[in-house]
Order: sequence, then C-alpha cells, then structure tokens
Amino acid sequence: MPPERGLGVTVHAARAALAACLMCLLLAGCGEREPAPSVALDASYPPEDGGTLVNATGGEPSGLIAMLAGESAASAVAGYIFNSLLRYDPNLELEGELAQSWQVSRDNRTITFRLKPGLRWADGAPLTSADVLFTWQLITDDNTRTPYAADYQLVKHAEAPDPLTFRVTYEQPYAPALASWAGLHILPRHLLAGQDINTTPFARNPVGSHYYRLEAWKHGERISLTRNPLATQGPARIERLVSRFIPDPASQFLELLADHIDTMGLTPIQYARIFPARPQLSRRIALYKELGNAYTYLGFNLKRAPFNDVRVRQAINYALDKQEIIDGVLLGLGEPVASPYKPGTRWSHPGLQPYPYDPAKARRLLQEAGYTDSDGDGILDRAGKPLAFEIITNNGNKPRAATATLIQRRLQEIGIKTSIRTIEWASFISRFIKTGDFEAVVLGWSLGLEPDQYNIWHSSQQGPGQFNFIGYSNPEVDRLLEQGRLELDPDKRMHLYHRFAEILLEDSPVVYLYAGYGLQAVHKRVKGIPDPAPLAGIGHNAHEWYIPQALRRTEISAQ
Amino acid sequence: MTRYLLKRLLWMVPLLVGISLVSFLVIHLAPGDITTTEAGFDPKASEESRQKLRELYNLDKPLLVQYGLWFKRMATLDFGNSFASHQRPVFWQKTDAEGNIVKGMIQEALPITLLINVASLLLILLVALPLGVMAALHQNRPPDRIITVFVFVGFAVPGFWLALLLMYWLGVVNPWLPISGLHSLGFEHMSRPAQLVDLAHHLVLPVFISALGGLAGIALYVRNGMLEVLHQDYITTARAKGLPENTVVYRHALRNALLPLITLLGLSIPGLIGGSVIAESLFAIPGMGKLFYDAVLMRDFPVVMGILTIGAALTLLGNLLADLAYAWADPRVRRGVAR
Repeated sequence: MPPERGLGVTVHAARAALAACLMCLLLAGCGEREPAPSVALDASYPPEDGGTLVNATGGEPSGLIAMLAGESAASAVAGYIFNSLLRYDPNLELEGELAQSWQVSRDNRTITFRLKPGLRWADGAPLTSADVLFTWQLITDDNTRTPYAADYQLVKHAEAPDPLTFRVTYEQPYAPALASWAGLHILPRHLLAGQDINTTPFARNPVGSHYYRLEAWKHGERISLTRNPLATQGPARIERLVSRFIPDPASQFLELLADHIDTMGLTPIQYARIFPARPQLSRRIALYKELGNAYTYLGFNLKRAPFNDVRVRQAINYALDKQEIIDGVLLGLGEPVASPYKPGTRWSHPGLQPYPYDPAKARRLLQEAGYTDSDGDGILDRAGKPLAFEIITNNGNKPRAATATLIQRRLQEIGIKTSIRTIEWASFISRFIKTGDFEAVVLGWSLGLEPDQYNIWHSSQQGPGQFNFIGYSNPEVDRLLEQGRLELDPDKRMHLYHRFAEILLEDSPVVYLYAGYGLQAVHKRVKGIPDPAPLAGIGHNAHEWYIPQALRRTEISAQ
Repeated sequence: MTRYLLKRLLWMVPLLVGISLVSFLVIHLAPGDITTTEAGFDPKASEESRQKLRELYNLDKPLLVQYGLWFKRMATLDFGNSFASHQRPVFWQKTDAEGNIVKGMIQEALPITLLINVASLLLILLVALPLGVMAALHQNRPPDRIITVFVFVGFAVPGFWLALLLMYWLGVVNPWLPISGLHSLGFEHMSRPAQLVDLAHHLVLPVFISALGGLAGIALYVRNGMLEVLHQDYITTARAKGLPENTVVYRHALRNALLPLITLLGLSIPGLIGGSVIAESLFAIPGMGKLFYDAVLMRDFPVVMGILTIGAALTLLGNLLADLAYAWADPRVRRGVAR
C-alpha cells in the first residue's frame, strides 16, 4: 500500500538528518527517571516462596517435546518441565536426577538405572521405569520425527524389570551413552500411549515432573509456568516464571530499562559499554558472566591446497592474534581456547596453550612451505599461484563477520590475500558445507560436556551431511576417538581425550579463536544467585532463587 | 455486469494455479530444506535421521510430484501442516479425534496484522486527505511547504530508528506507553473495557510507525490530484456559477481527485495481510511478516506456500475490487464495463 520507499531517501537525506538532530535535542533534554528506591535492593533477605520472574527470549518454542522440537528455545522451557534420568552437577559432572544410582556392568555393555522411590508426575500419577522404557521406545520409533535418535538406536535391548529399575544393553560398550541419558526428557506413558507423538496436543499442553508446569501459553507473546508442588527434585521457590518472546535485543533491553522484565541475555556492548556508563542501572540490575558452551573457529578445507600442508595451517594460526579478536569482537568478553572442551572441566587439558601471536614465525613457516613473494605484489605465491582464499560464514551473525574481517587484516600482513563472503544459513549449509565447496569457514562448535567428538573429527565422518566437513583425517586421532567411545572409566577417558586435544592443536585443522561469555542481567530483587557463577552457569540453581515479598512488582502480584 | 464479474472470477483460477506453480518452483530453488535448518548442524542429529525426515515430508520426491501432492491437498482447501512448528495447521484450526483444537498459524497471525494495518490505513486517510487538500489549496505558500517537508521527513526517516527512539522516549523515560507486545501481563484478569484500553495502548506506537511511510505517499497523491483537478474547466465553471468555495473544493474537486486513490487502495488490499518484519520484531508482535520471514528462513514450505497463495488470491481480488469501485465512482468507466 505505501508506495515504494527508497527513492526519496538520498535526496532528502539532509532533511532526515535535520530531523535526527531535532530528535536528539529532544532526547538530550530528558534523563531517565529513576523511581526513588523505597526498599533496599542490596539488603539481605531470608529466602521465601512466591513471586513472579519475567524474562525475555528471542525465540518461541515450536513445541515442548524436546526430542521433536530441537531448537534451543524449546529445550530452555521444556527443561523446566521435564526431568531426565541424569543431569550435570555445578561442576559439569554427571549425577542422578530421576535416577538414584546407576551401575555399569563388568563388560561395559549394560547400564542399570535405579530410580528414586516415590516419584510422581505433576498430575499425581506415579512415575516409574515403564515411563522411561516408553520414552526410549518413542525416540527410536521409525514414525517419530526426531533427528536425535542415533544415540538411542545403539541400545540393543531395553527393559524395565520392576517399577524402579531400567536397564539398557548395548551391542558394544558405548561411553557417550551415560551423557545421552542426561539429554532425554522422560515423557509420561499414561498420557501419551497410543497417540501420534508428531501431532499430539501434549506438545502444547505438557505434563512433566520437574520444578514447573505449564500455566498458559499465548502464542507469539509468552509462556507462563507455575510451580509444580509434586516436583521430583523438591519444590522451587519462585511461584511463577514468565517468558516473553521479544525477538529484537534492543527492545528487550528497553523493557529491562523500564523494569518490565527481570532478566535477559546481554550483548557485549550492552554489558561492557552501556552498563558502566549508567551507574543508576547497576544500582538495580546485577550482571553475571559465565563461560558459554561454544567456541568459534576458523576451519580449513583440508582436501584442498594450500590447507593440506600443516605448515600453512600453523602459519595462519601464528598469524592470528586471538586476544585482538576477543577484544575487538567481544569487547574482551571471551577466552581463548586450546582444545574443543570447556576450560575448567576435566576434559580440558590444563597444559595446552593456544598458538601465540607470532607473525615472524608464521612467515618462516610459509617460507618453509615454499611460499615467497616472487613478483613483489605483497602477496606470497608458489609456482605462480598467489596464496589467496575465500573465508565464508553465515550472515546475520555479526561477531563471525567481524571476526573474519580481523582475520583478513592479520593475514594480509603476512602476505595472504583473503576475501570474505556471508551467506544465508540454509544456503550456507546445503550449498557450501554439505558439498565441501569452500576454502575456509568461520563457524562455531559446542564445547562438549560429553567428550566424544567422533562425529566431528573421525575420518569416517566426511560424507555429505556429516560433520567432519573440513576433511580431517589422522589415524592416531581416529584410534583415540574409537577408544574413547569404548572406555567408560572417566579417568582413563580423560587421558585419551587429553592426548586427542594435543594432536588436534599440533595439527591445527582449525584455528580456535575464542569462547564467548554468556552475559546475563538479573534484577537485584532476585536473590539466591551464586556469584561467581559455577561452571554450569547461574541458572543451575534457578529453583533456589527467590524474590522477597518487599521487592516484588505490585502489578503482577496483585493477580 | 454479472457476465463481466463471472468472467473475471473464472480467469482468476488459472492465474492462481500459475502463480502457485511459479512460487513453488522458486522457493524450492533456494538451497536447503527443513532438515538443514532444524537441527541441521547438531552433531547429535545423524544424517540417517535427517534422510528419514526428508522421506516423511516427501522432500526426496521430484519437484513436480511434490507440487502435485501440494495441489491435491489445496484442491480441498487444505493448506497442510507446518514442518517446523510441531505440525501446526498452516491456515485454519483442526480438531483431532479427542476434540482438541489446534489453531492455525495464519489464523492466529492474520487478525493481528489486519488490525494494525486497517488501523494504520484509517490513520493515513484521516491525516493524509486534509493535509493533501490543504497543501493543494495553498500551493507554493508556507502551509504547502511545511506539509511537503513534513511528508518527506516522514518518508525518509527509517522506521526502525524512529520506533526505537519513541519506545525509549515514551516507554522508558516517560513510562506512558508499553514498549513491546500486544497485551500486558495481567491481561486475562482485566475487565472487558480495561482490556480494550490495554490493547489500544499497545497499538499506538506500532500503528503510528506503520502509518508513517504511507502517510507521505498518500498526502502527495491527494495534493497532486487536487492540483490537477483544480485547474480543470469545470472547476472554473463552478466558481463562475458563484458556488461557495467549500462546495467547489469538497464536492466538485475532491471527488474527482480521489479517483486514482481508489486504484491505490484496491492495490493495497493484499498489503493488508503483510506485516513488516522489522516493526514486528521490534514491537514483539506475532504478525504475518515475522511468520513469513521465519518460515522462509526455516524452509518451512507449507507455511511459505500458504501465505503466498493467500496473498496472490487477495491481490487478484483487490484488483477486481479496485476496478469495480472505479466503475462505481466514475460513470465513464461504468459505461465501458457494462458494454
């Protein structure tokens, strides 16, 4: 209906600029009005039950059955409603959740879980091993539209000999099995038996066993959860959790400023620039940072020259200043990593250091590999071919694009010419990654809590759609990854994966760039948050958070 | 007249089929499908499971077969179920055997978008008509100049930028209006009138922002139309007859000046079901723009096709309505149609 915009824009840019100035003047006149603090936010209060916590998230879950939904928004909400057999403790070690204990048989092929006694669903029905067995049958059923079946299909035989015992037997020992039982939400058989899991209304009206149950779901606007008095892990303190779906981070931040939401994830700019500049914000909002579960890397297509030469890969690794990228892209809110494991966990090798920034060494390595600037154009070449390649990444991810730009500049300095291209996600994956039609990528992988990374680094995983798309192949790494899958003893496993990380660092098939911090803002009315955050993050004890009566919002508690 | 109508309506059928075929082919040209976007890059998701999903969704079949399947469903007006959103119906609600109702995605998004767009269209007409007339009557004098500047500023200001400023100014600094969303948290517990007030509060900024761009265009259209008409002989005649100036302007001139506007409004009907992705993201409004945008990014083909088909049908209907309204308003056209 409105005629095409755009023509008038350049011609009348001057007028728009004038309007902008007027607008700025208007804004400058008024500061933020701070309500006079009638209650002391920083005082200490005894824990008490009740209250409402409002948070903002960018995405809406498509459904609350995590095995079908898959996106992070779904698992975030479903994680409040459903339990798994196991979970990660604050130090990211496995512990029982529904399971009281578990035993691994002598041949490492059978795991027997013993459930805690007296477990109940939120509707009062007993939760037994039959529900666990039912969930396993669901995820391995051919009609279930889930991409996550692979781990569970390895189970040759599953049984529930009595209401408290669940036993799985694998064809051969499979060490990641335990972690896989921390990732499967147990679903109620008495409500789902005989239904088509793909279309069941249960996905929008679930009954679980965890701290919260669904109260209301207003599509496109918000989900509210209310405390489950029958929670298997004991009741939570906060009465109601409301998640508002606000796609734009700037709008989220304005809602936080206006005190309409209590918590949100911040961008580095909001955390490191806006908050320090406004002391009145820090008076009522507390900031937390916790190392995230993912790292960003520069990956090479190892099947192509020049990346099939380890000296070129190492040279590029030496030529990149990781701290500069962390400072420039994340405003310092990240850590360099030297292995694909989260620093501080047992899998992360404490002795490994990232490649230091050493352009002289980079030049030397390139010279050894036969690259010289023979035609004097500032770009290294070998046999008449200049050392140049294209870095691709997905668009809409500003940190990755900025990272690529910094990489480009540092490589330019040692005589490598690069170009950058950003591509829409679905095209990026199917047109470039799947087909192996790329030279270098800036992408991210998660810092696995389960150390098995067979799918990413084993030489057998290079087919189309598989995850070793960079084409990494090292017989010793293959052997270590295979052994790691068979070894269930955590200490022996740890040594295997430390050795694996050493080789990976030496081989440099990817340049580890950084692991960013998750930045969280929480209103100071919320008490009981651990600071500093444990390895598992501040959300780990969200059930112990509480909002003292005196600090609650009036309009909501009036409901 | 009836024959003309029937003929136009019948012609729409092959047109719609053609449009849907072209849309179907074009959206499938983009690389990737739902299995690349949903868990496509999660090492826990295996390629075998993704292949299984492709088969379940018929994505492994040749394109024309897929179109045939889609067309067969459409023949019974079944828009199908979304790939991405837990199989929600694309268009209208479906009831399962146990009587559980699942609302359609378009069914939920469309009323919201319509509400905002109709409100902003009304606002545009309400403001742009007087502005345009005033500018024409005072051509090249200060009122005209001021209106033109205002109109161009409105045209040129980036909506998202102004939206953020207004959200900050009217929502944070002076907490007069809500910042985002459509309903307050306690909405369900409010009385009916209070609910209406709450909704109206939430709509002020989105409607204003979405009206801003159109305002400029329509005001200029009216101004130029009026200028053209005011120089016609029959206006001179009317003035010579000694008619009061108001009658000359509003009865003789304005009615004729509005003719091109009718075409414009007819063409704006399909626009009514489209929302701006940027505005909807900023204001956290679950409308059609975001629904379509997300569906394209997710490669959720049934949703994309559903919205495109409805959009195409509405465009054709809008053209027809514009032609009919034109005939109603202009006797010269009417005679041509009747013949």
